[in-house]
Amino acid sequence: MAFIETREVCKQYGEHWGVDHVSISVADGCIYGLLGPNGAGKTSLIRIINRITHADSGEVLLHGRPMTDNDVMKIGYLPEERGLYKKMKVEDQIIYLARLRGMTRHDAQTRMKSWLERFDLTQWRDKKVEQLSKGMAQKVQFIATVIHQPPLLIFDEPFSGFDPLNAEILKKEILRLRDEGSAILFSTHNMSSVEEICQEISLINHAKVVLQGEVGEVRQRFKKNIYRISVQEETFLPEPALFTVEEQSPSYGGGLTLQIRLAEGVRIREVVSVLNEKYTLTGFEEILPSMQEIFIETVGKE
Amino acid sequence: MNRLGLIVRREYLTTVMKKSFIVMTILIPILMIVICGVLPALLSTVKNDEKKTVEIVDRTESHYAQFIEDSDDYEYRTVRLSGDLSLYDYFETRKGELYAIVEIPADVLETSTVSLYSSQSVNMTLEQNIAGQLRPILRDERLKGYGVDSLQSIYQRCDRHVGVNSIQWNEKGEENVSSSALSAILGLVLALLTYTFVLMYGAMIMNGVIEEKANRIVEVIISSCKPIELMLGKIIGVALVGLTQVVIWAGMLGIAGLVLGINMMTTPEVTTAMAEVEAVTQADPTVMEKILQMIMGIHFTKIFLCFVLYFIGGYLLYASLFAAFGSAVDEASDASQFTWPIMVIMIFALYAGMFSMENPDGPLAWWCSMIPFTSPIVMMVRLPYDVPAWELLSSIALLYLVAFAVLWVASRIYRTGILMYGKKYTLKEILKWIRQ
Repeated sequence: MAFIETREVCKQYGEHWGVDHVSISVADGCIYGLLGPNGAGKTSLIRIINRITHADSGEVLLHGRPMTDNDVMKIGYLPEERGLYKKMKVEDQIIYLARLRGMTRHDAQTRMKSWLERFDLTQWRDKKVEQLSKGMAQKVQFIATVIHQPPLLIFDEPFSGFDPLNAEILKKEILRLRDEGSAILFSTHNMSSVEEICQEISLINHAKVVLQGEVGEVRQRFKKNIYRISVQEETFLPEPALFTVEEQSPSYGGGLTLQIRLAEGVRIREVVSVLNEKYTLTGFEEILPSMQEIFIETVGKE
Repeated sequence: MNRLGLIVRREYLTTVMKKSFIVMTILIPILMIVICGVLPALLSTVKNDEKKTVEIVDRTESHYAQFIEDSDDYEYRTVRLSGDLSLYDYFETRKGELYAIVEIPADVLETSTVSLYSSQSVNMTLEQNIAGQLRPILRDERLKGYGVDSLQSIYQRCDRHVGVNSIQWNEKGEENVSSSALSAILGLVLALLTYTFVLMYGAMIMNGVIEEKANRIVEVIISSCKPIELMLGKIIGVALVGLTQVVIWAGMLGIAGLVLGINMMTTPEVTTAMAEVEAVTQADPTVMEKILQMIMGIHFTKIFLCFVLYFIGGYLLYASLFAAFGSAVDEASDASQFTWPIMVIMIFALYAGMFSMENPDGPLAWWCSMIPFTSPIVMMVRLPYDVPAWELLSSIALLYLVAFAVLWVASRIYRTGILMYGKKYTLKEILKWIRQ
């Protein structure tokens, strides 16, 4: 069963739709990507799930029953605009936020210790946040978000502001949290991270869901019969009846690499047998569109 | 600990631990002592050093000028001018040395007027000093003119200050001695205390709200508690901070009083003065008794209880307004458009309170001590003069009713305002948030 589910959630700001009949469902142990251009309504939806604002209509269900105010304790939320009390010490800050979400001081201290070690921040624990670098402050905020082990985690643009090394550490931690069973809702513009870690996505544009499904399935849905082939020969003659060549470039160490688009109704077997007769084929693979391309195609079309 | 408790605790601890809080708590009393005590003393010594020279040209036969004594600021010298030298020419020759010349005309007894010449506009204190010194001299001279023996001493015995003993009957007809001056001072002190506290800590609340909003921490916090908990936590936390500060100041005042008292006891002048006071009180025990009675005549328990009630109500009322307006802006500099109406109301309340001192039962005092926005200040002034119980009760009830209504409205504004960025909102737009 889905851990959290929104059903036909709507929110209007004056005449403007913030969220327009959005339904998503995030399962335990699943990373769910919430994609969309700026101002599409991702943050509005996240705020409704967090009960920071309330939906005009529709419902938010937790394990199939309507969510209540106390359920926010089960959520860890990392907002897009990061913020901590600048004058507060790292450990005071983490413990304060942990206790606000119902942890005891003792539990919070124990868990904080292991998290600080994991992120290599132990020697910074009694420094004020304003003395930390931006990356370190982000890690502190991440710890504060996950310390109470919430079954649902909501990350709004978690990788922004991290260098590639720290982004990798963060990604590992997110995957580890998923493996431990947390449901993770994950909003981002970074499409390559979506392909790497998300199982399911919803693409939101102009407050509406315009695309939804499992990542692999969505990519299949958008495939355009494009294949990458490699041959050992230095020349390649087109076969207009079977396919068109879209790109052609010499391979390293001789031969050619090409991208071909199969003509309508042509089967892969035919193409492979024709090519096999004429060339020494060293590679043949289907190219699925990247999430980036799907994003641009879907949003650009609107 | 529940969430509200946690928020209050954090708010309190972070503020009290701040360097600026510790410095301000120590510095403000020192500053007050400097402004109220040391500075005037210093200034008066500066003034004493450079006495201004004023010469008196006395054209009378009786030479009244000889009776005029030097004051703190002026040194008087009598001069005679040869008949044909004009005052102006004489002044010119002494230019730079002389501040002014006073001319006492020969017929001063009839006209009762003297002239003051100077090349600059003359200080008011000089006019007052000369008039004040000449008046009794001329009066005695005139009395002498009636030719009645000992008229002067008769006059002095007749011309006495009138004292007024205010006596207040309680329900049983027992007499209480009260003093309107003492009541007025007590009332004003309480009103000023409320005024200062509300403004100072109201601004602290507003800045705290703006800081949380600017830091963006607010979104994290309200994803784990209700906005009203955060707002209330701030209001209560800051109130506790204020209370701490007041307690520290009271302690400092107590210690300073003790130290000063011990020091003064040992200085010889004070010991003689004390002996004198003792002599007077022994001779006339009613003086001490009267003072004591006056102090006892004020209903301290009632006043204190009312003060606390009004203080909390007024603080709650204004603090929630400050919190709401703080949530509606991005930076402290944008907040002035909302805070000036509050300032205007507060200053009006203070002035209304001061006017009410003269007429504590007048219509201005009555209405302003009923209207919740002014009552916490104006009622303080009226309190020492027994206010009817029904007036007190309805005023307090009204204050709390409105304070909680404003708190509710403020929390509606607050929960929307803290998530709004990047635009300056007008009051009209903000009022719309209440209905959302």
